[in-house]
Amino acid sequence: MAHLLQVGAGSGGMPVLDMICRDPRLTKVTLIEPDVYKPHNVERHLFPLSAVGEAKAVLAQRWLLERRPDLVVELLPCDLCDSAKQAEIEAVAACCDIGVCAADNEPAKYHWDALMRRHGKPWTLGEVLSGGIGGFVHWFVPGGPCYGCVASHLKRTVTVDKAPTPDYSQPGGPVHETTIPASKASIQTIASLHALITLGLLEDPAHYSPGFTTLLLTLQRVPEVFEEGFRPYRFRIPRAADCLICQARPTPSTVEELDVALDQALARLEDA
Amino acid sequence: MSLLDSEAGKRRLLSVEIPVIERYNEGRDPAFQIRMSRLGGTLVLRYCLKPGHNIYQLETRLVSSYPTVPPETRVLTALKHCPHLLEGQTLCLWRQGSTRAGSRWDPARFTCIFAVQAAWRWLACYEIWHETGEWPLPEAK
Repeated sequence: MAHLLQVGAGSGGMPVLDMICRDPRLTKVTLIEPDVYKPHNVERHLFPLSAVGEAKAVLAQRWLLERRPDLVVELLPCDLCDSAKQAEIEAVAACCDIGVCAADNEPAKYHWDALMRRHGKPWTLGEVLSGGIGGFVHWFVPGGPCYGCVASHLKRTVTVDKAPTPDYSQPGGPVHETTIPASKASIQTIASLHALITLGLLEDPAHYSPGFTTLLLTLQRVPEVFEEGFRPYRFRIPRAADCLICQARPTPSTVEELDVALDQALARLEDA
Repeated sequence: MSLLDSEAGKRRLLSVEIPVIERYNEGRDPAFQIRMSRLGGTLVLRYCLKPGHNIYQLETRLVSSYPTVPPETRVLTALKHCPHLLEGQTLCLWRQGSTRAGSRWDPARFTCIFAVQAAWRWLACYEIWHETGEWPLPEAK
């Protein structure tokens, strides 16, 4: 009897959701996914071409119920960071047993991390690298490293995705990234690892110990990036003592006191 | 996390960002202290820097999705068109990547003062470029 809260049912999130929900321990799923299925999704997705134009959340619900009619599937077809939906999202997070993050952008990952920490829930995250050259799976438990700790550690120690340097001398706004889509096979491989780790964590969150907190699996040899393809790297990333995201610092205890203290501080700095 | 609307954002401001700004201001000439004001869901830091011979007025914006999204800094003092300067005299301080690997900004380790220091370094480069025509530092990462 477990309740899964997942954000994202894209090309990476949907196979994870499918694999996890085959497990009979899962009895309820809440899926946060605002997007509509588009023609360019078909190449890497589980859904057929005929489903283009429908909401991904609805398609995911149909997919799951065709395989697990006993499963309760609830949908939140909204953006995870939508401020108008936070109360609803918080309420679900408070009663779920485990979270899965299949969001593809950094603000959403940090937002999810904060949500899970606030409610003391274990969660997992899968990330496929540009071009499908490999991918990460991370797992998180209350009191352990947060996504900020992990991202900061990996940023300093792991070199991936060496794109050519954009031309910064061209004014006209932020330089757009060029990302190379990953293949369905690469996505499925990382999704399988993500599902395995999620199911392992679900078994016993307090004692889960696969020997790493982050797993990187390379899927291709890429000169200057990965020396070998199909090589796992296991990282044990500790909680960072100086992490600005998760380390508690003394602040007023109530929201009202917090507002007053913030107003006073901002007034001091306005007059500086 | 929304900076001014969420409890987490307010706690970050009160426990991390505001204390480092106050430390930066402590003992500093008032003309070079950071002043902070609200602009909708954004916090605006206004300050002056003097990396060499000239004084520049700047503005660093902490948008509502800060610190996940890095601060944006622009120079209010008119500059000559130069490399690493984006529209609206916004400084190109770090790659604007949406992926972890694609951006130098690290919300777990950096505060808004990092952006002020990065702007100081950018302006020092600008002054050298102004005299020599060469930007002395490699591309942003």
